Amino acid sequence: MVEPAVQFAEVSASRGGRLVLRHVSLSVPQGQTVALVGRSGSGKTTLLRLVNRLLDPDSGNVLVDGRSTRDWDPIALRRRTGYVIQDTGLFPHVTVADNIATVPRLLAWPADRVATRVDELLTLVGLEPAVFRERWPDELSGGQRQRAGLARALAADPPLLLMDEPFGALDPITKGELHAEFLRVQRTLHRSVILVTHDMAEACALADQIAVLHEGELIACDTPANVKASGDPRVRALMGRSG
Amino acid sequence: MTELLAFIVSHRVEMATRLGEHVVLVAASTAIAAAIGIPLGIVAAQRPSLSRPIVGLANLAQTIPSLALFGFLIPLPFIGGIGTRTALVALTVYAVLPILRGTITGLQNVPPAVVECAVAMGLTPRQVLRQVEWPLALPSIVSGLRVAVVIGVGTATIASAIGAGGLGDYIFRGLAMVDATVILAGALPAALLALAADAALAAAGHLADPRRRARRHVVVLAIVVLAAAVTMWSGRVTGGPAHLVVGSKNFTEQVVLGELVAQVVERQAGLTVERRLNLGGTAIAHEALLSGGIDIYVEYTGTALTAIFDEPAAADSEQVFAVVRDRYAALGLTLLPRLGFNNTFAILVRGDDARRLGMKAISDVAGQPAWKAGFGYEFLERPDGFKGLSAAYGLQFAQAPRVMDLNLIYRALAAGEIDVTAGDATSGLIEALGLTVLDDDRHYFPVYDAAPVARAPVLLQYPAVAAALRGLAGRISAADMRRLNFAVDGEKRDPAVVVRGFLDKIGGF
Repeated sequence: MVEPAVQFAEVSASRGGRLVLRHVSLSVPQGQTVALVGRSGSGKTTLLRLVNRLLDPDSGNVLVDGRSTRDWDPIALRRRTGYVIQDTGLFPHVTVADNIATVPRLLAWPADRVATRVDELLTLVGLEPAVFRERWPDELSGGQRQRAGLARALAADPPLLLMDEPFGALDPITKGELHAEFLRVQRTLHRSVILVTHDMAEACALADQIAVLHEGELIACDTPANVKASGDPRVRALMGRSG
Repeated sequence: MTELLAFIVSHRVEMATRLGEHVVLVAASTAIAAAIGIPLGIVAAQRPSLSRPIVGLANLAQTIPSLALFGFLIPLPFIGGIGTRTALVALTVYAVLPILRGTITGLQNVPPAVVECAVAMGLTPRQVLRQVEWPLALPSIVSGLRVAVVIGVGTATIASAIGAGGLGDYIFRGLAMVDATVILAGALPAALLALAADAALAAAGHLADPRRRARRHVVVLAIVVLAAAVTMWSGRVTGGPAHLVVGSKNFTEQVVLGELVAQVVERQAGLTVERRLNLGGTAIAHEALLSGGIDIYVEYTGTALTAIFDEPAAADSEQVFAVVRDRYAALGLTLLPRLGFNNTFAILVRGDDARRLGMKAISDVAGQPAWKAGFGYEFLERPDGFKGLSAAYGLQFAQAPRVMDLNLIYRALAAGEIDVTAGDATSGLIEALGLTVLDDDRHYFPVYDAAPVARAPVLLQYPAVAAALRGLAGRISAADMRRLNFAVDGEKRDPAVVVRGFLDKIGGF
């Protein structure tokens, strides 16, 4: 049997002295997209951050490729884990190309390989390299920033991608475009992806599996179709909210 | 304005030196402050529990008045004393806060999402700092540096009081002379320097903007050129270690006497002399001599007796000299022979009155009860001023003496508003306004004979210096001193040039 990309085993974690995750167990199979859905404060972002050791659990284990994150060198772990967040965190003081080239350069790729890779990624996320390479982050629209952020996360070809509300701040039309873009990219690359969102419709559109968190506990984990059919009022409330 | 231009032109060499000292003081103190403030700011920004006490401490240091801070530093070993080193310490203390604050603010204002992404991408803490936080905080750090430099240029003018030189020399000299031109000669270049330094740093910060990276090498080049220029300038100004250091207090006569001693030593003993003219006062000059910050300066016997050794004033020239010489000797200092003039109070009348009435001495004034007298406030109040004077000479005036500003009494006398006053025996205005000094025939006023005082070990090391200074004994009359003062105060000539002309004229040097 193939090792899961990420496995949470009885994980509990607290932030600022408050317990925000209680005994969560969840498995993310290789090459699949798992959406973490829940209201604000449900613990979904905390769960995501345990994966690349931005946080460590109080108890339980987070296994990445079968190895506990406590045994990973955090720097090495992070360099093979793409990370995309809502306000993208693009470095405002360097160009789009330099943003995308950050991790390849940390890994000491030769300059020509970095340049080729940057153009390849810009094309992949639908940004014309000749136009966007030398742009500054504040010259991009919200949608273009998210595309650049995704390209940066994919730069060193990480097997695992963590995305925290990556499409949260976009207008509905741009969001729809990027959903289509994400599915197209994922059909080509087949990365293991953990996607945090409060939007059940987005989760249904993008994920192979949906994990629903409520006040720090995992209350459902199933395919989109089965989650949609759930009778749990807490799950139904999330469906209603996203319309 | 024309006066100011004329002053600047006639003092251009000295001015270039002062400006150079000023630039070096500010540049060096800002550089040291940056070397302290930036790393401290980085540490503090990461630990908010540390940043509060650090910023608080820096704030506190900032509130110490600058003259007081210089005062505190003088008696301290290693960092204290007189001159450039102490000034650098004080200026650095003031420059640290804005740089520290700029660094902390800059780092704390880096968007958290950007830092989070940098960490999540696998940058090490050091890489996060160097590649992300530092470039984003740089504009704020540059503005901190700009504030520090502007404060530094201003505060460095006060460094003159402890002998660090700089443009403050003119400001203090001008204040002592009540001459706006001289004050402006220091204040105006200082203000321009502050503006220029601020603009240069702003331009450097602007060019360092990553979006203009192509011009980055220009900035680097400019900084290198600037640093080289400053280094060369400072090298030229100091020109290697001098054999000995001559000091003076911060009024015209003292500057002239300091220059005179320096030139005599240079001419007669063939030694190189560093000048620390314009020290803030008797206490600072004396402290400087004791600590070895300076080797020689000219003091007045009466001042030494009362202000340094805390004895009552006395009028017997020989006796005062002997007492002061002994007291200095106990401190390892040598009082050299008197220069020949007594800078005491002088009772002044108009020259034509003196000639018409055949007046020579103060006792002759007793025969003029109808005269109007006018004195400075202090002279009227002091027991050894007018009260003692009128008792000693039996002076009676029909009208009570008028109280006048000390700076106006000479002109009031010349204009006939008053007929007799008490001035400064070596004021340059006495000859210039045609006034006559009446002889103190009853020896009422304390003596303030000018005499060089030197560190004894220096005289032992360089016997030629002692010989040269003994050669000055009795060579400068009160009339000479008045002419020298007037040449500098009234004619606005460079003290060095005036002294050179005087030494050539009296000969023997």
